Amino acid sequence: MVIEALIKIAIVLLVVLTAVSYTVLLERWVSAWVQDRIGPNRVGPLGLLQPLADVLKLLLKEDIEPMMAQKWFHWVAPVISISVAFSVLAIIPFGHSLTIGSTIIPLTIAPNINIGVLMLVALTSVGVYGITLAGWSSGSKYSLLGGIRSSAQMISYELTLGLGLLSVVMLSGSLDLNAIINSQSAGLWNIIRAPIGFLLFFVSSFAETNRQPFDLPEAEPELVGGYHTEYSSMKFALFFLAEYANMITASSVITVLFLGGWHVPFADQLGLPALAMSIVGILGFVLKVLGLLFIFIWVRWSIPRFRYDQLMNLGWKVLLPLGIVNIILTALEKIYLVN
Amino acid sequence: MPKFTIDGNEYEAQAGQTIIQVAQENGIDIPHFCWHPALSVAGNCRMCLVEVEKTPKLQIACGTIVTEGMVVKTLSETATKGREDVMEFLLINHPLDCPICDEAGQCKLQDYAFDHSRGESRFVEEKNHKDKRMPLGPQILFDGERCISCSRCIRFAEEVAHQPVLTFVHRGDHVTINAVPAESFDNNMSMNVIDICPVGALTSRDFRFKARVWDMSFTDSVCPGCSRGCSTRIGVRNNEILRTEPRNNPNVNSYWMCDYGRVEMYPAVNEGRIDGPRMKDAAGKQQATDYDTAARVTAETLKKYHKDEVLILGSAAVPVEDNYAMLKLAREHFGKQTIPFISHIVGEDDRLLLKADKTPNSMGATLAGCVADGHYPHVHGEKAAHTTVLELLRSRKIKAVFALGDNFLTDPQLLEAFEHVEFFACHAANETITSRRADVVFSISHWAERDGVFVNFEGWAQSLNPAVTTNYQVRGRDQLNMSRLDRFGSPYDKWARGHKRDAREGWHFVQLVSNQLGSKWHYLHTEQLFEEIAATNPEFKGMSYESLGSLGQPIASKHSMVKEPIYQEVYQETGAPLMGSGN
Amino acid sequence: MGYNTKYNNPSTNRKLTLWEKLYLPEVIRGLLTTFKHIFRPKFTRQYPEERWDPPASFRGRPVLVMEENGSERCVACGLCSRVCPPLAIEVRASETEQLKERYPVVFEINMLRCIFCGFCEEVCPEEAIIMSKDYELVFRDPSEGIFGKDKLLVPKAELKERLDFLAEMRN
Ligand code: SF4
Ligand code: SF4
Ligand code: SF4
Ligand code: SF4
Ligand code: FES
Repeated sequence: MVIEALIKIAIVLLVVLTAVSYTVLLERWVSAWVQDRIGPNRVGPLGLLQPLADVLKLLLKEDIEPMMAQKWFHWVAPVISISVAFSVLAIIPFGHSLTIGSTIIPLTIAPNINIGVLMLVALTSVGVYGITLAGWSSGSKYSLLGGIRSSAQMISYELTLGLGLLSVVMLSGSLDLNAIINSQSAGLWNIIRAPIGFLLFFVSSFAETNRQPFDLPEAEPELVGGYHTEYSSMKFALFFLAEYANMITASSVITVLFLGGWHVPFADQLGLPALAMSIVGILGFVLKVLGLLFIFIWVRWSIPRFRYDQLMNLGWKVLLPLGIVNIILTALEKIYLVN
Repeated sequence: MPKFTIDGNEYEAQAGQTIIQVAQENGIDIPHFCWHPALSVAGNCRMCLVEVEKTPKLQIACGTIVTEGMVVKTLSETATKGREDVMEFLLINHPLDCPICDEAGQCKLQDYAFDHSRGESRFVEEKNHKDKRMPLGPQILFDGERCISCSRCIRFAEEVAHQPVLTFVHRGDHVTINAVPAESFDNNMSMNVIDICPVGALTSRDFRFKARVWDMSFTDSVCPGCSRGCSTRIGVRNNEILRTEPRNNPNVNSYWMCDYGRVEMYPAVNEGRIDGPRMKDAAGKQQATDYDTAARVTAETLKKYHKDEVLILGSAAVPVEDNYAMLKLAREHFGKQTIPFISHIVGEDDRLLLKADKTPNSMGATLAGCVADGHYPHVHGEKAAHTTVLELLRSRKIKAVFALGDNFLTDPQLLEAFEHVEFFACHAANETITSRRADVVFSISHWAERDGVFVNFEGWAQSLNPAVTTNYQVRGRDQLNMSRLDRFGSPYDKWARGHKRDAREGWHFVQLVSNQLGSKWHYLHTEQLFEEIAATNPEFKGMSYESLGSLGQPIASKHSMVKEPIYQEVYQETGAPLMGSGN
Repeated sequence: MGYNTKYNNPSTNRKLTLWEKLYLPEVIRGLLTTFKHIFRPKFTRQYPEERWDPPASFRGRPVLVMEENGSERCVACGLCSRVCPPLAIEVRASETEQLKERYPVVFEINMLRCIFCGFCEEVCPEEAIIMSKDYELVFRDPSEGIFGKDKLLVPKAELKERLDFLAEMRN
């Protein structure tokens, strides 16, 4: 059991870390394409070794610790950020299960968590500590403002996130992620059953991952770099990785909750052997995640940043009421349509 | 006393005054080229045209005597038009030489072309060509194309320099200036024509192309060349003196200065300097040392001798303050009532400016309490001639000498008599025969690097201003004039890194030695010394650096000699031209 | 409020329609716009391989015009040095036997200071300093950034395009 989990952790971590660095490359490519440029193409074939160069560059930078910084918190903040980002992945089922011989390996690092959804919400809320701590401990006004914005933003959008989530929980009647996925197996994904819930969750995800158009905590023109202004070298890299890891996490969660997880429509009608089915499932999952990542990036290079008051207005005056209305609608849907 | 109006305002004139004179006295600027207050009226440039009511044609302000009830208009349409036309004629054959012309930036023609011309030339034909590099004298080059034939130079040669060798040759637009055949304008006043030439036709061999006017900072100073002490202005770029020019001071030098003072004085500030104090080692070779050691050794050695074996020398080459300090030291520690200084009488007066006494401050040193010493019967009269120093030295009573900055060992008799001196400490700014003989040399600031007061032979006191910085001054902090380059350059710019010498004003060293001998002086600035002098010496009563200003003041017994300045050339007044003075 | 621009002045603010206020449709419209650009031809120039030949109006590093006989056009009037906003130019004049009797013994531009404003070119009465097409300036040491006459003087023939451009602009 433990060995199995360790192997899974190793594989997932490896895959995700690579994925994170390639997401960065993807981001740079997409941004280039959107702006009629080519993007990185110098390091390695097609620029594919660019992430390696990036990492090397970051590693070789001098690690500067500001004089006014609270040393310990300054150090621990990026660690919190990155570990939270990765730990959420532990509960994501990225495939049904792998049957090798007679052993059935569930494709989740921590299988059988029957309150997966709660776990998810709990873990993501910890992420804000990393950022707030970073902002406060840097001893710089920009960082502090970034940190404060971040906590305000997280609190505002966590509500909406939760409400969006609630509609899914109501529809599937379970807090278990596997159960939620299975409830969508009929091809009737939650995105169709709870479109408003999806919208709420999706929008809030942008806010939770600090991505444009909600990247106020790091708004370059006003805050220089927000909470990570005073970070350099590997500590900065951790924040950087955390942002992209968060994107991957968020995409995975959306895939699980709304896009049917590893289910590939019409795949079970092909009559494939179990192993192949599992692989098709994993591929389907990965493809969905990739698609979502692309959307994340695409949105970033299309939509300008909100103003702070607009952000708050949107969160409290539009999304929150919408979420509450959505709960009622979902309840009605559950009563009259599903049952 | 005729009363008349200029541009609607009523003015009163002395009988016989011209319009331009009254205008100048009252601060009205009437453009002019050929008129110069110190020269006769020629009336040939026609730039000063003004409208006088009831006369059919425009009149020249420089040649029209004011009459009762005259109504003069300088700004009327006809007057303006007249000036514009004159400018157009003047510019017909004037080359587009401003980029290479040394006068540019302080050129009357340039300024007036700006203010009083149409700004467009209608002349498309080929301009006249004339000789562009014709020497008129050993110091002066003449550019025929730039000359506007104002005849100022001719009149100067005749009326002021008394060497009437310049003249117009040819006629019409071929007219040009030349020296009379087989003559050369080699007067000692010759270079003044360069200043009074309203354009850049006359250039100085000494300064030619060295710098643009706007790159230099200009500082008012006093020429140290002779006891006349002409008021001058020093042009400095990159901490190097590039030229000196006279400043109008009616009580001293009028508008002029002599060529000797102009070209022979400033190079000593730039070159051959003693950079930091020196002391002879056991082998008799001068080695660099620091001020405190030099002062300590001097004090200790002087103490070893009997008071009568020590000779303290003042100097007529350094300001009053240094002499005052030296005399104070001599009185406090060596029981002397007065100290001698060596006169430098060379040649005769030229009856214009240059005096036989080639030091600027004989009078000042005397007033400070020193006694002139020298064997110059033709000046002092057989009886009055002091030769005590020479006699003392020859009598071998003197074993140690401490002297202010003065190169007096150029006199072979003194040098010979110096053989028996065991210890010689001196102040010196330049490497000279005197400084080479000394056992301890204190490196002093030159006249252009310091504050101080010179009193000229007539008793006119003028203050010096630092124009060049030493190691102990900072241009911005110590209120030295700054050129634009000084102001905006960084220490990394080559042109802001001019050489600074390790030198201080002479009284610093006197104070160091005196304090080593036991006094408790605490002077921080030259001005403190002068304040003390003004408080104790009746001749300097009431004077301060501020009251001396740029033109100076007479000493108390000479108050009768004051003349008021009536006129300053506009471009002389501003010194640095408009363009360069600002940003 | 202290300022009043086109954007915060209520009188010029356009009233949004309900459709626009819904925001999402507009977001999607924006997304589609950027999406279309993904397939557009790219503008990127593959720099070290593909070099850019700037038009004559380009202001690259300032150079001094060298006449056919190898001497400089510059008469060391110092106007460029006077006008140069960052004080990048140093000129020291001296006399020559040539027709133009003044020439620069020292002419140095500190290329680390130069901001390529072209004022020197504009002020020069001799058209002796002009902006070239050279935009590739690399130094390994700050002292290399100070260009003397050796680096500044460029034969007139190579600068023909810019000189023609200037002649055209002046008319
Ligand atoms: S004389 Fe005056 S106007 Fe003539 S070239 Fe010289 S600066 Fe220019
Ligand atoms: S050389 Fe100068 S001063 Fe003499 S006539 Fe010509 S312009 Fe006048
Ligand atoms: S402005 Fe022209 S002529 Fe004058 S110094 Fe500069 S380059 Fe030479
Ligand atoms: S381009 Fe501008 S900054 Fe550069 S040297 Fe010329 S004037 Fe100076
Ligand atoms: S100044 Fe009067 S004519 Fe020249």
